[in-house]
Amino acid sequence: MSGLFGTLSIALSALEASQGALASTTNNVANVNTPGFSRQRPVLVENSPVVQGQLTFGTGVTLQQIESLRDPILQMRIQEETQHQGQLDAFVSAMQQAQVMFASSSGDIGSQISKFFSSLSQLSTNPANLALRQGVLTAAANLASTFRNTASNLTQQRSNLDLSVTQAIQQVNLLTKRIAGLNSQISGMQGLNQDASAFIDQRDVLIGQLSSLVDVSQIHSDNGLTLTTSNGTALVAGGQSFALNTQTDISGVQHIFAQGKDITGNLTSGQLGGLLQARDQNIPTLLSNLDTLAAGFATSVNTAHRSGFDLNGAAGGDFFVAPPISGVGAAASMAVQITDPALIAASSDGSPGSNGNVNVLSAVHDQVVASGQTATEYYANLVFGVGSNVSNGSAELSSSQLILRQLQDQRGSVSGVSLDEEAANMVQYQRAYDAAARVVTTVNQMLDTVINMGRP
Amino acid sequence: MSAIRVNPNPTADLLAALAQNQQQQQIALLQLASGTKINAPSDDPAGAAVLTQIHDRSSQADSFQRSMSSITGQFQTADSTLNSAVLALQRAITLGVQGATGTLSDSDRAAVAAELKGLRDQLISLGNVTYQGQFIFAGTSQTQPFVADSSVSSGVRYDGNAGVNKVTVGNGFALQVNQPGSDVFNAPAANVFQSINDLINALGANSGIDTAVVGVRKAFDFVTSQRVFYGNALNQIDSQQTFLNTEKLNLSQQENTIGGTDLAASASQLVNAQTARNAGLAAMGRSPQTSLFDFLK
Repeated sequence: MSGLFGTLSIALSALEASQGALASTTNNVANVNTPGFSRQRPVLVENSPVVQGQLTFGTGVTLQQIESLRDPILQMRIQEETQHQGQLDAFVSAMQQAQVMFASSSGDIGSQISKFFSSLSQLSTNPANLALRQGVLTAAANLASTFRNTASNLTQQRSNLDLSVTQAIQQVNLLTKRIAGLNSQISGMQGLNQDASAFIDQRDVLIGQLSSLVDVSQIHSDNGLTLTTSNGTALVAGGQSFALNTQTDISGVQHIFAQGKDITGNLTSGQLGGLLQARDQNIPTLLSNLDTLAAGFATSVNTAHRSGFDLNGAAGGDFFVAPPISGVGAAASMAVQITDPALIAASSDGSPGSNGNVNVLSAVHDQVVASGQTATEYYANLVFGVGSNVSNGSAELSSSQLILRQLQDQRGSVSGVSLDEEAANMVQYQRAYDAAARVVTTVNQMLDTVINMGRP
Repeated sequence: MSAIRVNPNPTADLLAALAQNQQQQQIALLQLASGTKINAPSDDPAGAAVLTQIHDRSSQADSFQRSMSSITGQFQTADSTLNSAVLALQRAITLGVQGATGTLSDSDRAAVAAELKGLRDQLISLGNVTYQGQFIFAGTSQTQPFVADSSVSSGVRYDGNAGVNKVTVGNGFALQVNQPGSDVFNAPAANVFQSINDLINALGANSGIDTAVVGVRKAFDFVTSQRVFYGNALNQIDSQQTFLNTEKLNLSQQENTIGGTDLAASASQLVNAQTARNAGLAAMGRSPQTSLFDFLK
């Protein structure tokens, strides 16, 4: 069947295939900047040949499908690293805000402790002087208010993180709903053997966004994609999504529930993981360390103060308001008990000019007040702890960013659209189209010749 | 033959590199502007912890020095007061020796006794001297220590106490800052007021004057020896000041080693970051300007 009409139909198949191929090129060019887009290429196959006697004739070309170039394993690695990065990012930025209060300055707790002892040292030179006594009270009040401010800033930060948790959960729910919707569309199309590339690309973008929020594991099965958190809580199963919800815990923070089960402690990755780590571990630890320091310091100063006598010869009472027995909330409630400077118990024997007890109070500087350390040592360790939280987190974050960039580069090398390539392909398909059209013209002329055969 | 396909869109990489350069530039600028390379605990957690303690120790050294300058004034006042007391006692001895010569008439001796009473009043006021509102010879009491009182044998009552104050001027180093008047003027072995009173009485009775003069001499020797206490204390303060100055210098050197900006390093880091940023910007400006499409007709 190598007649002229056969040739015409081969040329027609070539025209159609080139047109289709050109359409895929055009689509690639159109999506050159679309995030998550995977480049497509036409898959051309030879038509089944026709055998006539000893001759085998080709019957043209078919555009079998347009395939997307993607690497699912790489995609999964990117999503894992995105989770890691999301977690570190949220954690580091939370702790960066916390460490501001511990930066060495004239206003941090450490320097206020030094100033308090400096005021006591002044008082020891002239223990009955009311101005110097007032100086001690002022320094103590500043120290107490620095403790209170630091604690309340940390608490405030904790509730800000709590708000971010709620917002992140809302985003997670939106994303899982949309992913479930896309899942249905994709499995519907795949059931009809249709190409669902466009939807798969979109779904990958959404899974990427979800990964930056929460830890996600993917399971591909015949009936579509299942997404779970790393501890197995289902987020999306095929066309169905499961919303997470939040409930206020007794401690006042939001806990996360999936189908009635508290999964707060199981979320360790993604932005939520980082937020929860800072909210439930690092900031509470900082607050409780501050409480330990405040309680230990206030108790030691009170003990020293009670061993002396005030300007009126009466035995000294508490200098700071006695901290709660458990120590919880000691920093947030720290305050000076004494308001009258004459009531500072500077005297060790009841005579108003004695400074014996000022020396006892000053000695608290070198006394163990908390966890076997002096106040300054304990505070220095606290500074070290906050600092290393941030610096370790930042170091991990930059290596995670580097890994993610490399993975994105790899993805780009597989799936990214190169305009040079597309231009070359366009020329190629255009030429093929031109050539096929040329064949049609030629066949037309030949048919003309045939039709006019035998005419005079 | 197929070349390895590279990521055709390097914009994200370039942007990340630019952001990193910018960050380095900011760090270097901050270090240069603030003079310290630890601007947040995370810049060097261990260094920040050490700095906290260095700051505390240097604040402590400062307060020791401030305490010493306040008590130096007190020591100087006490020392010059005792100097005046010694002069008064010297005059009393001279008067006693004069009174002991048998050629004086009763009225002459009465005149000598009157001058001695004047000296006694002067000694009382020296014993009641104050520094910044505090009686320095009252022990740790706040009341006026010496009061003329004829009901006691010395004629002067001591209302202060025997308390002493110590001021810490170094780690584990406390300096006694006062001597109670009962140890200086009213010491049992050499009571200044008793000896003057005895001399006045002896002059009135015209007997035992020599013995009374010996008593005043003893008081004179005793008060003179008390001045040594203040001299010693002032010497100790001098050497402690020198020690603390050295310690503060050491502390500030340590602080600088741990936290100070290495100006040369930071400046070259800044220049490097700027150069890298300019290169990055130039690369960005050139990168994806043309493609094959531009050359097709």
